[in-house]
Amino acid sequence: MKRILIGTGLCVLVALGAMPDLSKLEAALSADPDNIRYGSEYRQAVIQTKEYDRSLKFFEKLVADHPTSGNAYLNYGFAYVDKIPVAGSITQVILANTALSHFSKSIELQPSWIGYYTRGNSYLYWPKIFNRAHLGVEDLEQCMKLQKADKPRSYHVRAYIALGDGYWKMDDTPRAKGIWQEGAKIYPNNAQLKARLSKDGDELKTYIDDVLDPNKRVDTDLHEIWEAQ
Amino acid sequence: MFANKRQYTKAFAAAVLIGLACIAGGATVLGDKWFEDVTRRAGVANKHTNRAFKNPYAHIMAGYTALGASAAVADYDGDGFEDVFVTDSMEGGKNHLYHNNGNFTFTDVAEQAGVANGNDAHNASSDSLWFDYNNDGRPDLLVVRFGQNQLFENLGGGKFREVTRQAGLIGYKNAITAIAFDYDHDGYVDLFVGSYFQPVNVFQPETPRFFPESFETANNGGGITVYHNNGNGTFTDVTEKIGFKLSGWTLDLGHGDANNDGWDDLYIACDFGTDRFFVNNGDGTFTDRTEKAIGFDTKKGMNADWGDYDNDGFLDIYVTNITDDYMREGNFLWHNNGNLTFTDVARENGVHDTGWGWGGKFFDYDNDGWLDLYVVNGWVSAGKESYVPDIFTMVTKPGIDFADARNWPPMGNKSLSGYQKKRLFHNEHGTGFKDEAARHGVDSVKDGRGIAVADFDNDGRMDLFIANANSEPYLYRNTQTTGNHWVQFLLEGTKSNRGAVGAQVRVTAGGRTLLSFVNGGNGFGAQSTSRVHFGLGASSIIERVEIRWPSGLKQVLEKLSADHIYKIQEGKAKTELLVARR
Repeated sequence: MKRILIGTGLCVLVALGAMPDLSKLEAALSADPDNIRYGSEYRQAVIQTKEYDRSLKFFEKLVADHPTSGNAYLNYGFAYVDKIPVAGSITQVILANTALSHFSKSIELQPSWIGYYTRGNSYLYWPKIFNRAHLGVEDLEQCMKLQKADKPRSYHVRAYIALGDGYWKMDDTPRAKGIWQEGAKIYPNNAQLKARLSKDGDELKTYIDDVLDPNKRVDTDLHEIWEAQ
Repeated sequence: MFANKRQYTKAFAAAVLIGLACIAGGATVLGDKWFEDVTRRAGVANKHTNRAFKNPYAHIMAGYTALGASAAVADYDGDGFEDVFVTDSMEGGKNHLYHNNGNFTFTDVAEQAGVANGNDAHNASSDSLWFDYNNDGRPDLLVVRFGQNQLFENLGGGKFREVTRQAGLIGYKNAITAIAFDYDHDGYVDLFVGSYFQPVNVFQPETPRFFPESFETANNGGGITVYHNNGNGTFTDVTEKIGFKLSGWTLDLGHGDANNDGWDDLYIACDFGTDRFFVNNGDGTFTDRTEKAIGFDTKKGMNADWGDYDNDGFLDIYVTNITDDYMREGNFLWHNNGNLTFTDVARENGVHDTGWGWGGKFFDYDNDGWLDLYVVNGWVSAGKESYVPDIFTMVTKPGIDFADARNWPPMGNKSLSGYQKKRLFHNEHGTGFKDEAARHGVDSVKDGRGIAVADFDNDGRMDLFIANANSEPYLYRNTQTTGNHWVQFLLEGTKSNRGAVGAQVRVTAGGRTLLSFVNGGNGFGAQSTSRVHFGLGASSIIERVEIRWPSGLKQVLEKLSADHIYKIQEGKAKTELLVARR
């Protein structure tokens, strides 16, 4: 059984194999466009139903109706990211680029840890030739500042991982290892940090290339955000 | 662990033998290089030059037409040695007919043969194909061109005459590939031509809107044209009549009998979009089975070669696509499921990443009875600066019209997926492939296009002729020293088409049965030998040979010695050995 939350905390149990009712989820989100949780759960349902274009249309209207909602733009960007694995290689680039513009709008409206982390991490998926890793590092460093000023949260480990990946993409492996080690002190059991710290050279390259493979679905489920509040 | 001393002794002896074998094997692996670059010594080093266009889009087109280097193999004069026709593409550039002198040197006889002039202001050679369209036993020559194709009838005595008009093959095409097989089993090979651009005059285009409308689903290309051979020296365009109505950006065509029903099916590799798979219905028509057979892809298909790489009795297909840091498509190794469906197993077999792939050919270079794979690659190897950011700046512009050439950024001296190393994948007895290109010295970084495989010195070891864009070709002589046995068959149809194109051969030796067939030009930018070659490993005797001719006749031969080139005529019980004349 998969649990999908909609509306004001209504819990709907959807039998495995049964398609979620996107209309209900859309109605809930329309009523509360800045609700990061509703947006995330809607998108996970879209992934299940493969209704990517419907989702893009829905978010296009949502941000048009609510142009100051930072989280609506954030989820709109994620909706593009969600479609990437099922797209051709050139369309992937177009989707990723469009997602970035929505992430930027989200940060402009509502600077947040999730906004900087999301955009920063997205830059890391771009091949080196596009020279976008440094932009990712800038965002992730900002993200790091925000989380150091905040109380510790479980999802903060993601920034340590991604920032290290950013340094690695900028060919600064010692700095990458440094930030991963810093993260590992706080999150000693994190498997992704352990994996990175146990690898070097080609083995590390293969690992990170695999992690940042645009053909693989990126986990855009944001449940950690509200669960750690 | 061991029940008795005898068992222990046996196990110990086996371990020692395995150890010795590993040492011996190790020494071989480390020391031996099995291909020798003999290009210059052989006299075939003439450089290919890309076409430079003289039109308003020339600065853009230069980057997108780095094509036209090709090589096609046939024994055009019947002297028992395989010759090779090689194209140039620059205006005024001469095509080459390299006559094999029998001692691994060649003489360019294109001028005296009358087949040198394939490039002028209105036509650029892009590929070539040998096929015996009139069943006179002499391979004729089609020069595939952006512009008008040329058909040359082989008159014998080293002379050719152009018969394009008489044959009914006049028609503007931006053709890039051609194969010939007898799709309807009437005894004459038919002609399948694949075109890249739609039939606009690319030398002086009247509109700028002739570039691909999409990177993934473009349908404004040249498609394919099928010419039925009427058996009287003429052809008729039957494309739509027999089930083809395509407008993709065709780069390669490959035929083979996917379900062993005796009728050859067709794989169409397309740039900027979906490859196609058509099933031959056996009644002179084809059905598009793309969705069920391979699904709809959005990749950049460049090559379609058929071969039974896993020796399961069904022909598989290898298709190259683009795999680079900025575009991770991966090639297809379509494993034939035997029911007109295929499964891509490229990744698990280690042959998915060959960079910007072009020609890919199955062949058994060490005669161990398992088809290996050579793949050439690289688009444009020029300056240090990369063209990738330019192209993606265009791609990400909202609402851009890709079909308009004016929107495409000029490439200048920038590189795009250039300087890529070629791959020679050794078939590890059906368990996957291992790249041995560096070991054997065939890992050049030129912009490879076509791979022609042939045994140029009749020694049973398959050699390679590689056509490179804007560069000299490579002729690699196979000098492998395994001592593995081999056999080749040169087939001649009587009821079937005389070149026996489409004939399947199953050889049983050493307890296994291998499958191959006479192909009519499969593989991008090249045509390999029409002889059917098998590596036999340690087997010096062939227990059984079964030939399934296109006519339907099944012919069985038994107890043949290995290490010979056999000439076999359809329906004739007696075999002859090929006698080569220097």
